[in-house]
Amino acid sequence: MTKPILIANDKGFAQSAVKQLGLYAVCTIMGLAVLMYLLSLAAGNTGGGSGISGINVDDNSITITLGQEPPQLDSGRATDAASSSVLAHAMEGLITYDQNNQLVPGVAERWEIREDGATFWIRDDAFWNDSRPVTAHDFVFAWERVVDPITASEYAFILYPIKNAEKINQGELPKETLGVHALSDQILEVEFEQPTPYFDKLVAFFTYYPIREDFFGSTNGRYGADADMLLYNGPYMVTEWVHGSSMLWEKNPYYWSEEKGFLDKIIVSYITTDVNTKINLFKDGQIADTSLVAPMLPQAMEQRWQIDRVMDGTVFFLEFNHREERITSNLNFRKAMSLAQDPNELVYKVLKEAAYLPAQSLFPVWVQGVSEQFRKEYPPREHKIDVLKAREYLELARQELGLDEFPPIVFLTGDTPISLLASEYYQQLYLENLGLEIRIDAQIFKQRLAKMTSGEFDVVMAGWAPDYFDALTFGDLFASWNLNNRGRYSNEEMDKMIRIAQSELDPLIRMDAMGAIQSIIEEDVVLIPMYERGVSFVVDPRLKGLIRRIVGADVDYNYAYIDVSED
Amino acid sequence: MQSLSSADFAPIPNSQEVHGISRPSLSYWQDAWIRLKANKRALMSLYIVIFLLLFTIVGPWIWRVSPAAQDLDQVSQPPGSPRVALIVDDYTPWFGEGNPLETGLRTFGDPTTQVVRLQWNALPGAAGHRIYRNLFPLGPERAYGIPIGEFFDNNTLFFEDRLDLKPQNYYYSVVALGQFGELLDSYELIEVDVKRVTTIAEALEQELVSHTSNFQIGDAIDMAWHPLGTDYLGRDMLARLMAGARVSLFIGIGAPFLFVLFGVMYGSIAGFLGGKIDQVMMRFADFVVALPFLLFMILFKIAFGVGPGESGVLPMLVALVILMWPATARLVRGQILLIREQGYISASQLLGAKTPYLILRHMIPNTLGVVLVTLTFAIPSAIFTEAFLSFIGMGVVPPTPSWGSMSNEGIKTMLTTPHELIFPAVIISITVLAFNLLGDGLRDALDARMRNQE
Repeated sequence: MTKPILIANDKGFAQSAVKQLGLYAVCTIMGLAVLMYLLSLAAGNTGGGSGISGINVDDNSITITLGQEPPQLDSGRATDAASSSVLAHAMEGLITYDQNNQLVPGVAERWEIREDGATFWIRDDAFWNDSRPVTAHDFVFAWERVVDPITASEYAFILYPIKNAEKINQGELPKETLGVHALSDQILEVEFEQPTPYFDKLVAFFTYYPIREDFFGSTNGRYGADADMLLYNGPYMVTEWVHGSSMLWEKNPYYWSEEKGFLDKIIVSYITTDVNTKINLFKDGQIADTSLVAPMLPQAMEQRWQIDRVMDGTVFFLEFNHREERITSNLNFRKAMSLAQDPNELVYKVLKEAAYLPAQSLFPVWVQGVSEQFRKEYPPREHKIDVLKAREYLELARQELGLDEFPPIVFLTGDTPISLLASEYYQQLYLENLGLEIRIDAQIFKQRLAKMTSGEFDVVMAGWAPDYFDALTFGDLFASWNLNNRGRYSNEEMDKMIRIAQSELDPLIRMDAMGAIQSIIEEDVVLIPMYERGVSFVVDPRLKGLIRRIVGADVDYNYAYIDVSED
Repeated sequence: MQSLSSADFAPIPNSQEVHGISRPSLSYWQDAWIRLKANKRALMSLYIVIFLLLFTIVGPWIWRVSPAAQDLDQVSQPPGSPRVALIVDDYTPWFGEGNPLETGLRTFGDPTTQVVRLQWNALPGAAGHRIYRNLFPLGPERAYGIPIGEFFDNNTLFFEDRLDLKPQNYYYSVVALGQFGELLDSYELIEVDVKRVTTIAEALEQELVSHTSNFQIGDAIDMAWHPLGTDYLGRDMLARLMAGARVSLFIGIGAPFLFVLFGVMYGSIAGFLGGKIDQVMMRFADFVVALPFLLFMILFKIAFGVGPGESGVLPMLVALVILMWPATARLVRGQILLIREQGYISASQLLGAKTPYLILRHMIPNTLGVVLVTLTFAIPSAIFTEAFLSFIGMGVVPPTPSWGSMSNEGIKTMLTTPHELIFPAVIISITVLAFNLLGDGLRDALDARMRNQE
């Protein structure tokens, strides 16, 4: 009698359980849907108003990304590419570069460079964004501040061509003795320490940008730390800066030139180095331009993007540690390492980056010589991989060093995918070809720099980006006094040639000295050239006038404008 | 009604078989084994685990390919891709010589995976030229493909493409550049079918042939065989998976075994002794739980004197053992406390059982289930920890692979060459699943309480 009731109850129980579960499931799904909708609403509200689009024709604005956030925007103390990028839009020096990388008047309307100094005539329509004019005094103040040892600017050395700059920076003279004077509000007079024919290229660099004294004083040492802690004289000004997430650049109404600054707003809405993220954002039309990396190229081709390319000017090389206690101070050892590798294989088969060039010399292809490309006037020695010869040199080195076996070679490198890939390639290459064990020491940029400075490496994968448009920016790298000569290479002949290259006015003799520097580097195997870096990139077809530069801002939006006529 | 006869009241004859014992007497382990065998999933997992161990230990003796050797002619090849190649001469530079009478964009020599040589005539109005390579034919949007080279003068009218050439069809375009390097409208297009080739030197280096005399230029040979394909540096995936298994299983099995063993000892002592000692010991375990793992990992690495580029696997093992035991210790202590108060323990004690007997016969078999569950969960988590640490550069260093680091490398090219991620990821998943299912089965089989229930 009881059993049938139980079964009936079981059925009822099962039914109600299914019902209840079904109800739960429906409620959950609906709840989630509502939550998603609310979240997307909230996200839309925070993302710069009316949703983000790479090109906004109505607002005359674009959305872009920055690789890194600038630590601060003080032109006197900036060292990194991110600061350089922002400063190139927000500030302007005496001289600047046009669309075709030619020097054109900036704040100075004309200038004159002599053997003993230079004179700059400052235009009277150059204003700060508080409507007051930019004067020669602003430059005097900025430059004196850079060389002042209290400022501790890492780029102070770039002002050394100016009279007394080095001594002031070393604390031997007061900063007022710097060879720069404001003859009036409009005339800036510079005295040189030694003839500096390339001074016009130097003043385009951000360390030479002006700073106004009274504003600087009013910031209480927070100059450049925030959007309102900076005075702007460039085509754009930073009006909002949310640290760690976004920036807003707006057109500077007081800017003098009509050839720059066509956009009303540039929104820096993403700060990321992740190329995959950037490519996806570009695909969704959320940013105006992006760089591409090798694995993404097939996808870019499939999307039918118009891919462009540019050499970014940087040369990468394996720099040896020339300190005496290191094995790498042995010339035959360096020769062996150089002969056992082939940069073509590295670029074409390992890195596979379409815009990279296998490097042949410290001086990249774009460097100008006397009348044409430096590399055409002074062709670098042809490199050919020769493993047998390399082994001979290695044996010689072993005997000279009195070693039975080589200890592991410490290979200092960065933590980027490209540098890890290259170091893994070299590791196996040297094991196979020379039987050398390579220990890869991958470090973040700052740590790598610290280790490079203290000499904790045998070989370091280093890169050098040009500071100004002249062969000397590469040529003086291995001067015994240059602090960027991290391997502490020292050679009297090299120093002599660098001095000639720095001060000689006759371009022929000067370039001959550069050529000699190149031969010494080859002869002495100071380094192994790896590759010249280039970038493949895509830009939204509606955005015209975007420039990728070798010197200055990596991506330059100063001349950019929106053009919808074609589409 | 049936009637009874006297025969019905005769006594039953005596029989030898008084109580038939239906089953043979089984020891604890025999019984467990029988029950494990009945569990199909667990048995299958056991076979997988045995296979993995063979794969790790015996594999490298059978598949004798170095996990570090780079076959740069076959980079990122998926498994089963064709590998017939023609033999050609070594690469020699080319400076644009060719037939000057030909016009238009054209190739010079055979287009091969070694080099594609292009020549063209100056385009009208060009101050320079840029060369593009595309995987797709040119559409109306004029997307030429990847720019692979450019010349800002009008004299260079040839280009050698050596960039990552694959045996497939390419569409090359040459486009005129203006004075400042801007793109002009005129262009020429050519379709090129690239053939796979290799050189004598490379064939010898890869040991595809033993003697130079056996073959000549133009012969077809098979390139090195990679059953599971190659990674981004042309390294054999199978060899790397085997080598990676060593690290992953060493950490994945070694560390959990050690810390579970220690945890069991610690927990049973604390639980069995009880009282103040238990309190002190368990508070110490709480203290260890609070220690941050990553920080300790870094400290151990420094304390061990592990320099840059040296393997951090041993400090990783030590750090795992030192920091992971408290979870096991707590579980075991709880179990021991529970069992200690059970009636059958008191009965055993009343019947004269000594402490060792109590521990061996009652305590351990009854906690074994818990311990095995902990162990089987600890193995996958240790494998993941190893993968994570290798990713942030604290674990294995190149060229030593581990499954974790291989997955991390593979994820970068997930869309273009998925096999680089799939193989290590699948093998990690299978390993983790196998250990979990085996542990599940073992728990059922070893649980004393479930004995004879079937």
